[in-house]
Amino acid sequence: MAIKDASFTDFSESEDRPASPRGTHHVWDIFVRIFHWSIVGLFTANAFFTSPKHDLHHYIGYTVAGLVTLRIIWGLVGSHHARFTSFPPSPSGALTQLRDMATGRRHAHLGHSPLGALMIYNLLVTLLVIAGSGYLMTTDAYWGVKWVEELHVTAVDWAEISVAAHIVAVIYESRRLRVNLARAMITGKKVFGRSGR
Amino acid sequence: MQLTRERVSAWTKEGALVALILFQAACTSLFVADVFDDIKEAGHITLHLNIELFANLGLIAGIAVEGVVLWKLLRRQAMAERALSAAQGAMADLMAEQFRHWGLTAAEADVASFTIKGFTIAETAELRGSSEATVKSHLNAVYRKAGVSGRAQLVSVFVEELFHGPIRSDAAPQTASAK
Repeated sequence: MAIKDASFTDFSESEDRPASPRGTHHVWDIFVRIFHWSIVGLFTANAFFTSPKHDLHHYIGYTVAGLVTLRIIWGLVGSHHARFTSFPPSPSGALTQLRDMATGRRHAHLGHSPLGALMIYNLLVTLLVIAGSGYLMTTDAYWGVKWVEELHVTAVDWAEISVAAHIVAVIYESRRLRVNLARAMITGKKVFGRSGR
Repeated sequence: MQLTRERVSAWTKEGALVALILFQAACTSLFVADVFDDIKEAGHITLHLNIELFANLGLIAGIAVEGVVLWKLLRRQAMAERALSAAQGAMADLMAEQFRHWGLTAAEADVASFTIKGFTIAETAELRGSSEATVKSHLNAVYRKAGVSGRAQLVSVFVEELFHGPIRSDAAPQTASAK
């Protein structure tokens, strides 16, 4: 019986790679990691601690917008797993991952998983909406305009919900696939357990 | 036999259901966030906000039910694995029902369906991304729960089920001379 693995080659993993990766792989470059944890800190600061009326809130917002812009550029020219082409938005890939969860199949992804990829796009867009609407609120033309404020607040709510879902998903997938995904975002290395153990 | 690990197409009822769940989850989360903002502003929970919270519970319950349906659809689909014919689909339903009756876990049901399809332990391990030892322990649990002695008996449970059905009711009874 021939077993062909379609789910990995399609998701831009190189073809000579085994179905489920083994051992230690360096996947996240230094920029991706610094970007991730900077956003964590800056978003938390602005969502919960800084006063929206203060300059600090605005400077942090500009920094986030700048970082997201750099991340998008890095998504075009950066290292392999950082590039958008290595994690294109893929509804069918996401469904396949959901099915793996529903049936207890364990196929870890070397880079971003399809569901993880969708979360990244969601967060990048949401952060840009927050920063954009926040900037508009400081301009003379849109200062005090209701819909801009509503958009800003709603986008922040959406980002908070997304972050909560992101954290739950990282814990769930780390346990399911026996790869410490959170640590990988610190060290840059995914350590895949011997599958099935 | 050849089995390719198929990707799940997005243009199916599973894909549509996921889209619906995501849409409803987005709507619900915004409603919930809105209620909490209102509570923060009002300083206490008014009757109106109580009603809003209650309405949100309805939405969340709806999403939970859809989630369960999606989970079952995906499991059924994994069992059918490219069920192109109605018979394959019916067989997958039959297997799903029997596995549920036996109380198999998701992983055990998946291993059982691969086994019934004739895959070896090594191939099943490969397809599921687990070790052969894990597959063996799943398989032992399946045999124990199903009360069968091994692979052949497991398959025969379903073969027998098919014989019960009106497969060829018009078939002439076989006689000794009709070899």
